[in-house]
Amino acid sequence: MKGFDVAVIGSGPSGIQAAIHSSRKKASTVLLGKPSGSAMSGTHVENYFGIPGKADGDGLLRTGIAQAVSFGAVHIPESVTSLSVTPEGFRAVLEGGGEVTARAVILATGVSRVKLGIPGEKEFFGKGVSYCAVCDCSFYKGLKVAVIGGEAEAASSAEMMTRYASEVFWVSDDIRAADYAVGKAEAAGVRIIRLKPVSIGGGERVDSLNLSDGSSLRVDGVFIELGARSAAELAMDVDLMPEVDDTIAVDGSCATTVPGVFACGDITGRPWQVARAVGQGAQAGLSAADYAKGTAQ
Amino acid sequence: MVTELSEATFQKFIDDNQLALIDCWAPWCGPCRRMAPILEQVAKAMEGKAGVAKMNTDDNPDLSMKLGINAIPALLIYKNGVPQPPLIGLRAKEEIISHLNALL
Repeated sequence: MKGFDVAVIGSGPSGIQAAIHSSRKKASTVLLGKPSGSAMSGTHVENYFGIPGKADGDGLLRTGIAQAVSFGAVHIPESVTSLSVTPEGFRAVLEGGGEVTARAVILATGVSRVKLGIPGEKEFFGKGVSYCAVCDCSFYKGLKVAVIGGEAEAASSAEMMTRYASEVFWVSDDIRAADYAVGKAEAAGVRIIRLKPVSIGGGERVDSLNLSDGSSLRVDGVFIELGARSAAELAMDVDLMPEVDDTIAVDGSCATTVPGVFACGDITGRPWQVARAVGQGAQAGLSAADYAKGTAQ
Repeated sequence: MVTELSEATFQKFIDDNQLALIDCWAPWCGPCRRMAPILEQVAKAMEGKAGVAKMNTDDNPDLSMKLGINAIPALLIYKNGVPQPPLIGLRAKEEIISHLNALL
């Protein structure tokens, strides 16, 4: 287990800027998360100060991470699966099975996409469609379920569901979770279906999940677990209560109501703009470094 | 005030309140924990107009199954004893109050 002054969760523009400012302030800093999970990945930026034309989002993320690393930050491209409070600060468990500890944590995960957007999803919400495996697992004892999503949250949810359901299918045509997480799910008995889900079927409630090759899985429940673990869930791990819209409230220094926990970027609210995210990232990095080094004013 | 219900007291609560809101929850459910303070605010705002209660699905598995609950938090609503469409998932205080007022 590695110990740092500051752990930044989220490798988008806000998290990267936080890591740059934290490490430049001589706080040992770890930047956690995959840049591919950022809303900036796969897009371009054309409304940011000093960047003419359209800048490639992935290129900016790569450059930003290299900058943070050049100032001493360590980048671990893995999602955080859980966060906990320790006597010295915080412990983050990573999807690859490793752990890091830090005196201060910055939540910069961005806003995760929750909805899948396929026919049947809305109609069967609460009738077999769930967005929270942890909440609803016990209602599927002895039944068949499908878990949809390609990242660590889907892997851990599928693995957990094997303790309740009689059969668990993990459905995704784009599995990006770490090999460790995939192996853990497979070892627990999860059947991986590398196809795209196209619709959810049923009558009064869910009875099937239809797939891109024309086949259909007979299931009683469909758990939609897209992306990495959300900031709202990580916040609750450390007894920080998110707002009802899943945003995290911060003060002007990007501090939350939990000492040592800071937040920045889209998870603190709108507008979801790179410029705002970066500005808050700088503030959060400075504040967290000060807190961790015991110099907070 | 939010009343804690069990299988034994569930039906009486519905009978005693013309408009009843019952939050089905479990301790390990993050959105349920977030719903708790919202429910307290709803109970205060709706005092005298609707009864507000909660039921731990973990402690009452048979009743939960009988009610067909498979996602929590689930806000069950009864008007004059008749079940109304439930509200599933975390909801804002304003939305719940508006929903209840529309049923008055």
